[in-house]
Amino acid sequence: MPSTARNWIFRHTINARICHWIMVVSFFYLLYSGIMIFLHFPELYWGKVGFQGYPAIFRLEDWGISWERAEELGDRRWGRSYHYLFAWVFVINGMIYLIWNGWQKKFYQKMLPTREQLSIRNLKSEFARHIKLKAAKGESAASYNILQKISYLFVLFALFPFMIISGFAQMPAFTAISPDLIDLFGGRQTARTLHVICSLLLVVFVFVHLVEMIIAGAVNQLRSMLIGKYEIHSENAEESL
Amino acid sequence: MSTKKTLQNINEIKLTRRQLMSGSGALGGLLLTGCDTQFYKPPVIREGFMGVADVMTMASQRMLLSNQQLVQEHDASEITKNFPVWNQSNPDDEEYQRLRAGNYADWRLPITGLVNNPVSLSLEDLKRMPRRTQTTMHICEQGWSAIAQWTGAPLMSVLEAAGGITTEAKYIMIDAYGGWYEGYDMFDAVHPQTILAYGMNGKDVPLGNGAPVRLRVERHCGYKQLKFIKSIQVVSSVEGFGRGTGGLNSDFGFHWYAGA
Repeated sequence: MPSTARNWIFRHTINARICHWIMVVSFFYLLYSGIMIFLHFPELYWGKVGFQGYPAIFRLEDWGISWERAEELGDRRWGRSYHYLFAWVFVINGMIYLIWNGWQKKFYQKMLPTREQLSIRNLKSEFARHIKLKAAKGESAASYNILQKISYLFVLFALFPFMIISGFAQMPAFTAISPDLIDLFGGRQTARTLHVICSLLLVVFVFVHLVEMIIAGAVNQLRSMLIGKYEIHSENAEESL
Repeated sequence: MSTKKTLQNINEIKLTRRQLMSGSGALGGLLLTGCDTQFYKPPVIREGFMGVADVMTMASQRMLLSNQQLVQEHDASEITKNFPVWNQSNPDDEEYQRLRAGNYADWRLPITGLVNNPVSLSLEDLKRMPRRTQTTMHICEQGWSAIAQWTGAPLMSVLEAAGGITTEAKYIMIDAYGGWYEGYDMFDAVHPQTILAYGMNGKDVPLGNGAPVRLRVERHCGYKQLKFIKSIQVVSSVEGFGRGTGGLNSDFGFHWYAGA
């Protein structure tokens, strides 16, 4: 062992940590309650209208779960109530996160890609490293890599807002508040379908996020998201073992 | 006098606050008591965080709806063929079946409670009132949607016909054949597109869609669009109806406010 002293950095601020875990809880409940709502009407349509018997673009029935069975599995009263409750938690938490961090220069340094990171050479090597499921070592592990930054920014500023707006477009009150919003989606059923597709993209993100966390070292990663401290392994850690 | 004037204007009423204040008749009571925030919460708030979220949802939407904007009306060409029949399709009720057998000639709609002049209206009475036809989207909380054209008498006209509401009036409780009932606040009652519909797609409302008269309270999910209407009662409190939450759906655990 070359060194017994551990190399710590401070990775996540207190607001990032609190908001992260509130988001984890609200995302879980939004997903769960969303599934409960969906199971009560397990079909997807395109356009303004859609109902049982209308040409669907997706039917759970075609995948071996009958309409009746799906309906039994879902609890939409529970689902609807919790969906809106946690939508509020999610939105308020998200606004606190953005306002709290938006003031801090560090946030932009942490989240925005650097010119160096956007170079073709770096993109290529990061792709290669990700495909081989290898963790970043040394100094490069101290900051977010380019693919990480792009995916976080995409989730925060594209998928999350899209989920909220496509949610609004499904609400009956919005037929009066902003019919243009519903038209923008091409109709209420399209908004519903895109809401479901977008939620699946978020599930894929969470899955990849968890896999990456395990590759990079679950204990170290979890610890940094809980208490902020993150251990940097030296570049030649493998050789020195 | 003023009642007649309001009746004539009912179709073009754009209910801004100022106009509400200068109006008379059915709305008189509402205006005198009226601070807008009374429309930001349901008659009974659920316990815990759920109730907080309910009020936040309702208040935020009601703020955005404060100009009483109309909902989008669609072109007649967009009317859905085979509009779904959901929930009860033919009330298992002796009185209803008798009325149905007589083609609803004996159907009467009593309007009672906190009104100045309780009345009982026939289908013909309703049809003689100012009528409104609107092609709107029906959105079910389950997820489906369909477009239909509805023709009916604005709920406001019906309340006018009963001499208008008194100052204590806060909710409109509507009973339906088959045991359903639902409550609405004055914010929805005064909306020009809130109608007692007797026509659907140019014909009488079919049996499965709530014959002879159903409510259209646009801006809400399907479960507020009460079918097979039996009676209307204007009240100051929802206590004493069902489990006391202000509607059968909220008795079942749905949110009373169905705009989201």
